[in-house]
Amino acid sequence: MPLWRRKSFWLALSVFWLLLIFLGLFPLRLAVPPRPLPGRSQGWPRWLDAAFLRSFFQPEALPEDGPQLRQAPRGSSCTWGACFDTSKCKGNLLKIFVHSSAGPTAEAHRRILDSLEGSRYYALSPAEACLHLFLPSQDHRGACGPLPPYWNGGRNHLVLSLYPAPCTRLGQAMVAEASPSSDIFRPGFDVALPYLPEAHPLRGGVPGQLRQHSPQPGATLLAVAEEKGGWRTHASACPWDRHCEQDPGPQQTHPGETLPNATFCLIPGHRSAASCFLQALQAGCIPVLLSPRWELPFSEVIDWTKAAIIADERLPLQVLTALREMLPSRILSLRQQTQFLWTAYFSSVEKVVHTTLEIIQDRIWGASGRPSLMWNSPPGALLALPTFSTSLKDFPFYHLQQGSSPESSFSALIWVGVSGEPLLKLIQVVAGSRHCAQILILWSSEEPPPDRWPETTVPLAVIEGHRKASDRFFPYDNISTNAILSLDVHSTLSTSEVDFAFAVWQSFPERMVGFLTRNHFWNEAQGVWGYSTELANEFSMAFTTAAFYHRYYHTLFTHSLTKALRTLVDDTPACVDVLMNFLVATVTRLPPIKVPYGRQRQDAAPLVAEGPGPRPEPQPLAQDCINHVATRFGHMPLVSSRVRMDPVLFKDPVSVQRKKYRSLEKP
Amino acid sequence: MCASVKYNIRGPALIPRMKTKHRFYYVTLFSIVLLGLIATGVFQFWPHSIESSSDGGVEKRSIREVPVVRLPAASPIPERGDLSCRMHTCFDVYRCGFNPKNKIKVYIYPLNKYVDDAGVPVSSTISREYNQLLTAIADSDYYTDDISRACLFVPSIDVLNQNPLRIKETAQALAQLSRWDRGTNHLLFNMLPGGPPDYNTALDVPRDRALLAGGGFSTWTYRQGYDVSIPVFSPLSTEVVLPEKAPGSPRRYFLLSSQMAIHPEYREDLEALQAKHKESVLVLDKCTNLSEGVLSVRKRCHQHQVFDYPQVLQEATFCVVLRGARLGQAVLSDVLQAGCVPVVIADSYILPFSEVLDWKRASVVVPEEKMSDMYSILQNIPQRQIEEMQRQARWFWEAYFQSIKAIALATLQIINDRIYPYAAISYEEWNDPPSVKWTSVSNPLFLPLIPPQSQGFTAIVLTYDRVESLFRVITEVSKVPSLSKLLVVWNNQNKNPPEESLWPKIRVPLKVVRTAENKLSNRFFPYDEIETEAVLAIDDDIIMLTSDELQFGYEVHMSKVHVYMQVHVSKVHAYMQVHVSKAHVYMQVHVSKAHVYIHAGRLHLWDHEMNKWKYESEWTNEVSMVLTGAAFYHKYFNYLYTYKMPGDIKNWVDAHMNCEDIAMNFLVANVTGKAVIKVTPRKKFKCPECTAIDGLSLDQTHMVERSECINKFASVFGTMPLKVVEHRADPVLYKDDFPEKLKSFPNIGSL
Repeated sequence: MPLWRRKSFWLALSVFWLLLIFLGLFPLRLAVPPRPLPGRSQGWPRWLDAAFLRSFFQPEALPEDGPQLRQAPRGSSCTWGACFDTSKCKGNLLKIFVHSSAGPTAEAHRRILDSLEGSRYYALSPAEACLHLFLPSQDHRGACGPLPPYWNGGRNHLVLSLYPAPCTRLGQAMVAEASPSSDIFRPGFDVALPYLPEAHPLRGGVPGQLRQHSPQPGATLLAVAEEKGGWRTHASACPWDRHCEQDPGPQQTHPGETLPNATFCLIPGHRSAASCFLQALQAGCIPVLLSPRWELPFSEVIDWTKAAIIADERLPLQVLTALREMLPSRILSLRQQTQFLWTAYFSSVEKVVHTTLEIIQDRIWGASGRPSLMWNSPPGALLALPTFSTSLKDFPFYHLQQGSSPESSFSALIWVGVSGEPLLKLIQVVAGSRHCAQILILWSSEEPPPDRWPETTVPLAVIEGHRKASDRFFPYDNISTNAILSLDVHSTLSTSEVDFAFAVWQSFPERMVGFLTRNHFWNEAQGVWGYSTELANEFSMAFTTAAFYHRYYHTLFTHSLTKALRTLVDDTPACVDVLMNFLVATVTRLPPIKVPYGRQRQDAAPLVAEGPGPRPEPQPLAQDCINHVATRFGHMPLVSSRVRMDPVLFKDPVSVQRKKYRSLEKP
Repeated sequence: MCASVKYNIRGPALIPRMKTKHRFYYVTLFSIVLLGLIATGVFQFWPHSIESSSDGGVEKRSIREVPVVRLPAASPIPERGDLSCRMHTCFDVYRCGFNPKNKIKVYIYPLNKYVDDAGVPVSSTISREYNQLLTAIADSDYYTDDISRACLFVPSIDVLNQNPLRIKETAQALAQLSRWDRGTNHLLFNMLPGGPPDYNTALDVPRDRALLAGGGFSTWTYRQGYDVSIPVFSPLSTEVVLPEKAPGSPRRYFLLSSQMAIHPEYREDLEALQAKHKESVLVLDKCTNLSEGVLSVRKRCHQHQVFDYPQVLQEATFCVVLRGARLGQAVLSDVLQAGCVPVVIADSYILPFSEVLDWKRASVVVPEEKMSDMYSILQNIPQRQIEEMQRQARWFWEAYFQSIKAIALATLQIINDRIYPYAAISYEEWNDPPSVKWTSVSNPLFLPLIPPQSQGFTAIVLTYDRVESLFRVITEVSKVPSLSKLLVVWNNQNKNPPEESLWPKIRVPLKVVRTAENKLSNRFFPYDEIETEAVLAIDDDIIMLTSDELQFGYEVHMSKVHVYMQVHVSKVHAYMQVHVSKAHVYMQVHVSKAHVYIHAGRLHLWDHEMNKWKYESEWTNEVSMVLTGAAFYHKYFNYLYTYKMPGDIKNWVDAHMNCEDIAMNFLVANVTGKAVIKVTPRKKFKCPECTAIDGLSLDQTHMVERSECINKFASVFGTMPLKVVEHRADPVLYKDDFPEKLKSFPNIGSL
């Protein structure tokens, strides 16, 4: 072997061995960056004697002598349990009595009073009330005006002020004021109200301004609330001037009242900016609150993280980055939640006042009060009464969230004004449906009900009515299913129609599914609402004389409508349909659903003429109804639709044998 | 031939001519080098095994060996806790800086043993639970060993139980921590606060601005949004295994009280309840006559009857959690573990994690004043609600109570959510038990908006090269009044779209988007050009749809029958047979076992045997899917399809060039929990390129493939999200005996 070859061989060998030894001793850390593996801590050692450590909790040393009855501190540190006497609320129902201060009633007070009168909370005398409402006068700042009688140290009193209250601490009274400072706010006791603008509507109110679920591509990202009111929009996101000197960006300042048109609305933390909050909410501009020093409205029940972003003002760049990188899905849900909250709780004075009272009512109910889901998902707590059921699955609105589906049977509720042959036929038809669970006859006729009823496969029960139109929507205990098929003795249906309509209802349990419909329209000439009953291309109301709807609407009809409205219905029974449709539309904000009705041509006319009431109502009176009810509601909730739901093979030129609901097509 | 010969001759010359011996040297050399490299590699790539064997002594120390720190008697004491502290006043967020993962970094001080001037230890060094707690933090993603990058500091001084602590010296020990700075961003864990006789509800150790994660806060000591209320850990959680009892299963007692140290007055109240309601109420007390060696913690007695604790809790529907000397009671954890609904009687007590947990769903809070009415209050709770509460109680225990680790991580998560609120965990994630999380659907478009009709819709036509047919579709679609824009997705990379002058002149803007690759998913890309919410996806061969049908479809979409997917018609494939039953109309999915089919067909039989999902396009009475050959939907679903499609479905579709519509149907149904809506009776398309050639066989393979798609997607989604409905949407007066002229949509095709 040549020398050089042997040399090189040994050289290579020794170099590699050296390298090997060197690397063995000082391993290169390049291969695997040192990083803690799960299960092995770097900073906190595994103690060898960890097993011998003593527990912090020595049960033998339980304090035996300790327990003492503690008297809760009173006054400024009031809590619900300590400063409110729930035993005064009979049946756990909140009844309020309003003490208006002497002298001329201020405009703000009058509006609160208006919104309470006739509501289910209203008590006529202080004796039956368990909550006394005290409206401090606005005139003299600092002074609260004379305290009302029955004051009792403020116990069971609510100081309600739609504006930051002049006197905030009044003994044991709860305070509901606009945007309270979070330093003095007592969570679970006080109620935070929104800062309402001067000209806030009393009832109804303007719906949210959001027109699109998702922001337009290239929409303005940010609007910033300004000191003097109004909004400054930024095409590029740099609201903090010192942070974006390099990019001043096109700015435009809006005058006071216009709503911001941007995806996010930055609202500074000081209390005076609280008034911008509602504006942003209404506009569907996601509020970004920078370390707010005031309590968000109704924060006790509303989960604001679903509709707003509360950020730390000290981390502006991080917040901006987070806003810019926010996922479309999150933006989508935040935007929709702003609109839902605005419409459900803030759009009118009435809603704000009622929400305040419902929060207190919920506290009285305690465990059987509304779960968080009811407050934070449509239709909102004012329209979801927990007295109906404590299980969310019983309500028509929460099936998706609960992962449940509507029941597969219904109860037929037949309203009988005059007895006769059609009734027996109707019973047979309804009983023929395999989904029918029971038949209830609401007997409202002068003559006594017959002793014998036809043999049916389903149970049949008779309810004696009081011959009032509002009877029809009373939440009878006998109704055992969630779906109700409301019928009039004159309704003529086929079993097939009933089956199909019920199948459709199961897809839309929160809506009314009706066979006969009518439409409303705005009569420009007279400036009133009118409605048409004849066949039309559109509809917005379903006749309740032949319709499927959820049992919950009976509860809502009976317990949430004001006395005035129910009296109106009893006086003019023809209004009952209109009222029910208004109610359902307020809840769903959607039109009812129409299903095909075979005998439309022949029977439409008599059915309409007969109406739900005992005597046919002339058209003008019915027209009156819609205007009456619309005024009471403060807005027009009805929505028109041009869609009808037909069976999939409806009137298709295919063999009838293929079709499931073939009798629907008989001429 | 010659070349190969030459090669053969010259061949050996390429290999070094070496003797066998030299060759041996070379082989040895290379094998040594190779071995060396392998050895190095093993050393390099296995550093942890090396470390753990070599550094083990450093990591695993004994607690007795920790450094001793002497606290001079005059060393500073922090101020008492500042009750007005809030995150924006007392917490230094700058330290948390920007972290792309939105996760705070937590540093743990090394363990020391503190002694005073006289050398007397300040407290026992560390308890078992505090060691577990710090280990849990160190093992979590929050941990950092770099003190300069940390946002939150956790002292290793154990203050879980205040009893054995020397208050002043512990405070001095805190104050001398290297980054103490008035306690800013320091987090203390305490479960048993206060001491005799008056038992303060928060830790008495002066702690200045430090955050306190405390068990047993009252409304007067709890700094809302700053402190964290944590449970009092029950050691029984780890010692005893209580299998979950099905909610609603019979329990012997309606109400049970198991606590030993109860104020005599409260015990009187409870015993009065027992006297009144006899068998259904059980009030237990300490056992007085236990034999030696029996753990008194694990036994409870009623008169002379002895019960096992905590097992006995599983026998009750409601369990009393009464305030003792302290507000926070470890019994709460035991009660939750047993799936018993806690009845919390402790005025002003801040329940554990109340900032995020909805205790209304799992407990009943009764004011102390109303203790005697407790029974009737509880009786008013309906059975179904009780069952939900029991399930919820058990879930709270499993998620947030059962171990020190669970408590520590929940605490850090709460603080993390305060600092990065835009990345916070939602109410549902905190509160919904897994069974609800799995089944519940939150529709991303839950709000019925009434958008202005004027906005109209954008039609998206996916095309490859059928220009003539495409132009006809464009012309037809442009007649729809509500159309606001037309987008042509040109999926052919080899051919340029026709010149601008050749395109049909229409009244709305027309845009052509060229794609980089011929992929089916291009049809569902969220193009910036889409400015409307409503999107019409239409194939380039759907030419027979009337303007009325499309306009009606748009209105159905808008009128909130469904906000999301509105499907118009379904598409017939080019190889469609004239045969009626072969028309690919709408599709449908069945559980094959549940359905008996009226009509015979190879596919059905095959399916019956295989027991799989099956794709069917016969004329049936039900719909669960719609073809996206002509469908209205919300543009948000384009975003979902492109970026949020579960599993590998998107790539699978692109690779197979099929089933993109089924994938879209699955996605929409899964996300909304609702069924699609078929609009108008139209089921068949006249298509110019249709031929009857080999239609049947192609059709068959097509059907097999589509059935495969459904099975594949169902397995990826883990469920069958599609919903079956029996209705379709028609105009109100469709086929009614009514003058056609007066109908809004007279021109609705029949098939």
